[in-house]
Amino acid sequence: MALVLTDEVSLPLRVIRDLKSEGLNEEEAVVITQCGSLGGKLSFGDAFFGTVFVLLSKIDNLTDQWVSEISRVLKPGAQVLLQTLLLPDNQAKPSSQIERKLLISGFVDVQSTDGSQSVLVKGKKASWSTGSSFPLKKTAKVLPKIQLSDESDLIDEDSLLSEEDLKKPELPLVGDCEVGSTRKACKNCTCGRAEAEQKVEKLQLTAEQISNPQSACGNCGLGDAFRCGGCPYKGLPPFKLGEKVSFGGDFLAADI
Amino acid sequence: MEGKKKRLLVLYASQTGNAMDVAERVGREAERGGCPSVEVQSMDHFDPNTLPSESTVIFVVSTTGQGDPPDTMKVFWRFLLKRNLGSSWLEGLHYAVFGLGDSGYQKYNFAAKKLDKRLQDLGAKPIIEKGLGDDQHPSGYEGALDPWLMSLWKTLNHVNSTILPEMSEILHPSMNKLEHPKFKIMYHASSEVVQHDSHISDLKDMKNMIERARSMSPSLHGHDHGEPHYLLKMVTNKQLSKGDDGRDVRQFVLEPLASVVEYQVGDVLEVLPGQNPAFVDAFIKRCKLDPDSYITIEPWSGERDAMDSYVNGSSDHPIQLRTFVSRAMDVASASPRRYFFEVMSYYASAEHEKEKLQFFASPEGRDDLYQYNQKEHRTVLEVLEDFPSVELPFEWLVQLVPPLKKRLFSISSSPLAHPNQVHLTVSVVSTMTPLKRRRYGLCSSWLASLDPNKNEEVLVPSWIHRGTLPPPPPMLPLILIGPGTGCAPFRAYIEERAMQNLVESTAPILFFFGCRNRDSDFLYQDFWLAHSSDDGILSEEKGGGFYVAFSREQERKVYVQHKIREQSARVWGLLNAGAAIYLAGSSTKMPADVTEALEEVVAKESGVSREAAARWLKTLEKAGRFNIETWS
Repeated sequence: MALVLTDEVSLPLRVIRDLKSEGLNEEEAVVITQCGSLGGKLSFGDAFFGTVFVLLSKIDNLTDQWVSEISRVLKPGAQVLLQTLLLPDNQAKPSSQIERKLLISGFVDVQSTDGSQSVLVKGKKASWSTGSSFPLKKTAKVLPKIQLSDESDLIDEDSLLSEEDLKKPELPLVGDCEVGSTRKACKNCTCGRAEAEQKVEKLQLTAEQISNPQSACGNCGLGDAFRCGGCPYKGLPPFKLGEKVSFGGDFLAADI
Repeated sequence: MEGKKKRLLVLYASQTGNAMDVAERVGREAERGGCPSVEVQSMDHFDPNTLPSESTVIFVVSTTGQGDPPDTMKVFWRFLLKRNLGSSWLEGLHYAVFGLGDSGYQKYNFAAKKLDKRLQDLGAKPIIEKGLGDDQHPSGYEGALDPWLMSLWKTLNHVNSTILPEMSEILHPSMNKLEHPKFKIMYHASSEVVQHDSHISDLKDMKNMIERARSMSPSLHGHDHGEPHYLLKMVTNKQLSKGDDGRDVRQFVLEPLASVVEYQVGDVLEVLPGQNPAFVDAFIKRCKLDPDSYITIEPWSGERDAMDSYVNGSSDHPIQLRTFVSRAMDVASASPRRYFFEVMSYYASAEHEKEKLQFFASPEGRDDLYQYNQKEHRTVLEVLEDFPSVELPFEWLVQLVPPLKKRLFSISSSPLAHPNQVHLTVSVVSTMTPLKRRRYGLCSSWLASLDPNKNEEVLVPSWIHRGTLPPPPPMLPLILIGPGTGCAPFRAYIEERAMQNLVESTAPILFFFGCRNRDSDFLYQDFWLAHSSDDGILSEEKGGGFYVAFSREQERKVYVQHKIREQSARVWGLLNAGAAIYLAGSSTKMPADVTEALEEVVAKESGVSREAAARWLKTLEKAGRFNIETWS
């Protein structure tokens, strides 16, 4: 089965006869004119046609989308032929443009015949299955060799680790960073949790509390080991009730 | 178990002292349980050749942030990796492994995991599954240690009841029977003493005194390398960082007084910090000690050969108590351990203090202790002041007060450029605790407090050690990556190569630096820029390059790894020419991020897959051409 595509409104029958002279012997042919109105899609299944012939009046109508559609409906190893008329105002060689488009889409054996009035470009769909492609990036080089001193008398210690060991370790106690769980802030916390952890819910000490400290529970003056969570004196050194609280502080700080 | 030693051996590899504490606790509990023979040893004092002759070994190993074993484990571990040991080398050995790590890191507890697997591959049998302590746990590693240890004792007891004949003491500790301290203090009359500390007149005497004091400390366990190599004077103390974001980075220039300091690029300076005399005096007063008395420290009679390695005839050289406290006991910086609180509870005369201390030492009080002690960075002095009724005998203090530790710094100068000087680039450590108390790093803040114009007598006891980064030969192209204070060793490399370049041809250097912004912490800005222009070794004309990532100068964060990706062609060009990569710094995630960026560069420029690039970089690491040095 052959497909004949043209962006022209009409297709002379002579064209079909010319196809036969190219040696293409398809029993049956489907002809589509004004193919530009199809929106770049053909309603045929994959690898349907044994030959696709395209008659182009305007090269620009041969979009990449069309080329890949043509490729799709072609059987592997089958041919596409594209013919376009040479118009007097054609500056660039139309054949090379068409060739390029075919090559980019993965056609092989691409060749063109330049006639005086028209140009014919042929190409074959690759005969291996879909999915294979040419890698277009540069080929992998070999990395420079590195000389190792004689470590061959030792085993590779990384081989002692299991799959489990190499995975990211689970932090203890499931709990989201945001949800106030018991998970600690990371050493280089960037989300602000470390700063939040350092903020302690502390009642502000008044001047009175500093100069004349009292304690209902009796423990405030004993030092941090005995103070409760909400004690306003938390962080301060021990003191005697009624005596002004010193702020202790680092002797070292004074030196810097 | 023919020919096997019938003892319980606890082998530990500790980086910061935690693994050692755990090991000592394991040993202590075994002793309480009546185990007839218990030995606790550091891995670097143990000959791996003798491992097959052991019957029962408990391993306690830490993993550092980069997934490496502690330095004290390197030799032991290398031995265990030997191919020719065979799968029955450790037949008949029963063992258990406890690891200390941090699940915030990808390579979580790698040292313990690898050790556990290797021991099995060599034919040893695990008593129980490995235990993994995790810093991320609300109560730190003890969260995993308590249940694991209990499981260990129960299993051991089940398998062989002669190992722990007094098992009940472990299961239900009576809490009113305290073992004796490991050491006793001998007091010497002043007339006996050959060398009076008040007569220290010259540097030689001072070095000797420091060595004597520290060699007498059982907690330092002979890890101390003898007399200081130098007593250095601070001649420059310059702040490199500006701005008010609280960071304080200094350049220190140190000079020897009467000798010549010899070192090479890449070396590290080890420093013994001084303690504030006011704190030392406060400690001595609180503990009712006589600062002028002369002491020696001996093992408690009946103690076996564990002490021999580090107490060498110390009775010949008594030391002044005050000197010992000042040089060997950390009284106002490091936090004490759980056992300290346990022992304190026996010596508390006030009932409420006794109860609180017992609670802190119990499994139930573990989290509260963590909040009060570790999270607040409580010092020994603070703890003693919070529990005023506790009178601890000096024997216990010697055993339990954390030893004063030396600190390591990368040297940031080249001796070719600064003969007889040692330069350091140091960030003054500063942390805010949950209760809003500001804590400073002991050594960095002490160095920062030394005023070159004033403190004539304050000298810095120092040792020079070979660094982990070997000095690169002049014709080796270099890719240096050192954000923040990571630039310290690279200032030395660049200084050195610039000097070498005056007399011979040198290979190019690409240097990647990172900081927050150029106005506040662009350390050594003028230095790098000087070498990047006028045909300097960092200049493009010379084939070099200097690239800075300013993380906070724009909306999105830009770090050294971004700059590396930007310069992927240049990096690859140099790598192809045989360059070595050196990476240094203090960030936790930076080395992993930079390694990732390098993998991407290799993959992109050469066309190979990410996996192949990663493998290639690993081989580079093994060949010594990709070196990572980080510090916390």
